[in-house]
Amino acid sequence: MISYELSPHQSQVKAIVHWFAENEIRPIAMISDKQKRVPDEWLNKVNSMGITLSTSSFGDDEGRNAAKKEAKGERQGNRLGVIASEEMGWGDPAIALTLPGPGLGGPPVQHSGTPEQKKRFLSIFSRDEEPRWGAYALTEPDAGSDVSGLQTTAVKTDGGYILNGQKIFITNGGRASWVVVFATVDRSIGRAGHRAFVVEKGTPGFSCSRLADKMGLRASETAELVFEDCFVPVENLLGGEEYYENLSSGPSGFRVAMKTFDSTRPIIAAMATGIARGAYEYTLDIINKEFPKHGRSYQTACAILAKLNQNITASRLLTWEAAWKADMGLPNAKEAAMCKAYSGKIALEATSKCLELLGPAGMEDTIVEKMYRDAKIFDIFEGTNQIQQLIIARHLYEPHGVRV
Amino acid sequence: MVSFKPTDEEAAFVKMAKDFALHEIRPAARESEENKKVDHAIIKKANELGFTLLELPESWGGLELPLISQVQITEALAMGDLGVVQGLGGAGDAASFIRMDPDNSLLADYKISLASGTETAAAFLNCEEDGKHKVTIEASGGEYLLNGRSAPVKMAEKAECLLISGVDSAGEDVLLWIGHIQQHSGLRKKTGGDYRLGLLSSHFASYEFENVKLNQASVFAMGEAARSLKDNAISRIIVLEAAKEVGLMNAALSYTAEYTSQRKAFGQEIAKFQGVSFNVAQMAIAASAARNLVWHAAMKIDQQEADAIGFSMGTLNNAHEAVRFVTDSAVQLLGGHGYVQEHPVEKWMRDAQAQVNVFMSESELLARSGDYLLSGTKGGIQDDILRTVTASKPS
Repeated sequence: MISYELSPHQSQVKAIVHWFAENEIRPIAMISDKQKRVPDEWLNKVNSMGITLSTSSFGDDEGRNAAKKEAKGERQGNRLGVIASEEMGWGDPAIALTLPGPGLGGPPVQHSGTPEQKKRFLSIFSRDEEPRWGAYALTEPDAGSDVSGLQTTAVKTDGGYILNGQKIFITNGGRASWVVVFATVDRSIGRAGHRAFVVEKGTPGFSCSRLADKMGLRASETAELVFEDCFVPVENLLGGEEYYENLSSGPSGFRVAMKTFDSTRPIIAAMATGIARGAYEYTLDIINKEFPKHGRSYQTACAILAKLNQNITASRLLTWEAAWKADMGLPNAKEAAMCKAYSGKIALEATSKCLELLGPAGMEDTIVEKMYRDAKIFDIFEGTNQIQQLIIARHLYEPHGVRV
Repeated sequence: MVSFKPTDEEAAFVKMAKDFALHEIRPAARESEENKKVDHAIIKKANELGFTLLELPESWGGLELPLISQVQITEALAMGDLGVVQGLGGAGDAASFIRMDPDNSLLADYKISLASGTETAAAFLNCEEDGKHKVTIEASGGEYLLNGRSAPVKMAEKAECLLISGVDSAGEDVLLWIGHIQQHSGLRKKTGGDYRLGLLSSHFASYEFENVKLNQASVFAMGEAARSLKDNAISRIIVLEAAKEVGLMNAALSYTAEYTSQRKAFGQEIAKFQGVSFNVAQMAIAASAARNLVWHAAMKIDQQEADAIGFSMGTLNNAHEAVRFVTDSAVQLLGGHGYVQEHPVEKWMRDAQAQVNVFMSESELLARSGDYLLSGTKGGIQDDILRTVTASKPS
């Protein structure tokens, strides 16, 4: 039966995460943006509270807690993930992405790691120890949207691989305890040559060369990583060598990278929805308090806010639909791309329209101008809007036998 | 639990609607347009299959389906052809008012007529749509005096009954029911109008009122009761109209995807050009977003959520904008072939524009939806003042 009602568990998750976003994240949002970092003491505090950004629990396997509670019911990890992420985005997306945990590195380990690798890499995140992060390194200076063109090489050697190359735009790349790095064992065979490695911090030859300054999302660390004759043991090849040998005809590191997107794109879309909602709610409140309830400015505000309300709701529903499909075990690549493409656009539109309504006052020390700067990246990372359209088009034309 | 899975019953009904749409409605679309009416066999079958009875209460022999089920079925039907769906007749928009007040004694005759299987159509004239209909309702001594001329109204040409929603000269809400139009000498239909834009098989006609006097026996509801009926029924109509637009979008999207996957230019299928494929992707996103909003609005109404009325207006605004974009894109991507009548897309684009013209303007919907957001669920304190002012008779 079609339903938009949250289950008790989903409502509880939403309420808790929203409380956290409102009371813990929002108070440090503006200062973190200004200082271009989330305060360490805050990160230590939330880590000791056991709060992590664990997108890996939204993948193929249920998160530990969710699995226990939902063992006999239907899977809902993806829906819980997007419900929680919207609240996080509402709070502050840069801080949300800086929460300790495996982050975007979680899903590939969860999807493709061996049991031993999952245990080794995912068990390091503990509230009883210092905060730790995982990261995901795919993009290169000359390979962004076209992942198949990546240049970082992995050359087989005794007991492992030697990595050489450079990665850019890596969230938490500098502070991460490990990074899932995509490299090629043979450039000439394209995607089939791709492999995913888990490179641990402190590995000789692996370094962070620079942190990028950005338009927004400033509290989130965006790193450039360099690999110079960096030896990675074979135990850190995600899935193990057998995985690639058994699947010699098709799947590869490229497949690992792409499969990850089907579960992370709805998460990112949910955050974008949260940003849009945050700006909308802030502006609605101001207009309610400060605007006269008549005249042209009121009519304009009515029209703009009504449109944003529709866009935000549509964005949430598209995202929920993609997450629901994943929970049902149905293919969701098209829906994941749709919600990502839609939410990225409307988040920017919503924040921009809210700034329009706030006028010049919106420029000075309001969270909405920060949200506007933050929102733009949601139309770019995890696949640009154009890439999402390409994916959608591929799925639309597949039944007609045309590969676009 | 959040779920997007229709019930088995809904899925079966939708499948039946889709089969009917693609195998019976679609092939008859052009002919219906040329004849300016829907073939009787199609109307008969639509009645038999229950497609014209979805909204009517069970006590009226209807199916009384929840709106969430109706929007899915309606969407599937409209995938055949919007013009045909709008021309099926029956209780039409009035069904939503009947649903709200099924035991209203005023409708007894109409109930008997519908139950007897005669295809008595009813039309709905919403005089409150800003400035669209130049009809005044003057209240005096318990009677109403109607004057003026309406803009084109769907099914008016065919309908024997007429439901009028308006605000009288004293600023009171009123709903009037005319069971037999021909019994009012001052009420005439202007039929045979020169319509060319779209929805040509939907029997549009205007009404002319010349001192049409209606007494209490024609009052369906008045005052607060009328306001509440209107709000609820019109929000249902709005969501059902939006569902029809989603169906039209799906038709245009799938037709365009198929055409562009076969049509070749510059040595390859044009789908392989991103100027084409990205446009198709955008059509798909717009259609999916609109569908989700329509379903959500339907659910809000079924569950009587506080923001259901204002939200439904925003949803129709979104559907209007999306259906214009999607049908225009369809014509554009077929190029010259899209403009000529060998393909259905030019008709769909015209139908879409006519639909948008008839069922409340985009900007009006948005302004009113926003008014609900800012002024609370009662909607428009300001609007009430405005209505009092505008409803007063010009001197």
